[in-house]
Amino acid sequence: MTQQQIATRETPNVKEAAQATDLLRTVASTLNERLAVTADELARSQDLLREASEELMTAFRGAADRIVAAQKIAAPASSENTEFGLVLDHLYRAVQHIQSHDLVNQLIDAQKQRVGKMREKLEQALSIAHPEMSNPATPEQWIERSRAMLDCIVAGIAQIDEEARLPGSDKQRQGSVDLF
Amino acid sequence: MKTILAVDDSATMREMVAFVLESAGYRVIEAEDGAQGLDRATSTSVDLVITDQNMPNMDGLTLVRSLRELRDYKNTPILLLTTESSDSMKAQGRAAGATGWLVKPFDPATLLEVVGKVLR
Repeated sequence: MTQQQIATRETPNVKEAAQATDLLRTVASTLNERLAVTADELARSQDLLREASEELMTAFRGAADRIVAAQKIAAPASSENTEFGLVLDHLYRAVQHIQSHDLVNQLIDAQKQRVGKMREKLEQALSIAHPEMSNPATPEQWIERSRAMLDCIVAGIAQIDEEARLPGSDKQRQGSVDLF
Repeated sequence: MKTILAVDDSATMREMVAFVLESAGYRVIEAEDGAQGLDRATSTSVDLVITDQNMPNMDGLTLVRSLRELRDYKNTPILLLTTESSDSMKAQGRAAGATGWLVKPFDPATLLEVVGKVLR
């Protein structure tokens, strides 16, 4: 292998360095588009969930208000009161499902935030490779640009990882009680 | 009638806790976050505090610590009701002075049982 061949392999020329940056820009741009679709789907899911939750809450409040009012006027040991107790048990079951709706809504909020933060970083990376910016003259400058874009993307991924490491709820422990 | 302070930034969660407790004859007052909870606890006499952990302004553990610094709340039961379920978080709760830790979503019958126990 000649000295020239070695030099070519070790030091990319301007064209190769520019191609690498362009590839990175394509990846960032495609990922950003996909995340935009995900963000839109999350928002639509949340809207549907909120609508369903509101309807569920309206029905729940109607039933809860009536049973509480009826219990107040019924004699304590009456058969009516026993019946009200059974209805109350059904409402208690609904309480658990309504909470689940609320928790899913909060999870969607968290996912939306994560997607939003990642998109911010991708847009930041894309702004570095904006076509209006003057093109670098040397391979080193192209590499520096690629590195800056990668730094943005890596920072976005690190944000997601950090939030994913935060202590959350373990399904098996849901409803558990610890008295100290 | 025993008064219970329910602290949660979710209006739905507060409503569920209030419904269950009121149906069992307790009086419930509500607060949207730890700071408001502290304010309510200092302006009203409360027999039990049930608080979420992750809230804006002041989280549940900070609320527990702040309440334990007040003479009136040295021995008042305080329950954490949260999605957080790790052992390390529970240990922090215990160290802060919490009475117990319940993981959401709660079972109404279990909540009433625990409330009855800590108020006894």
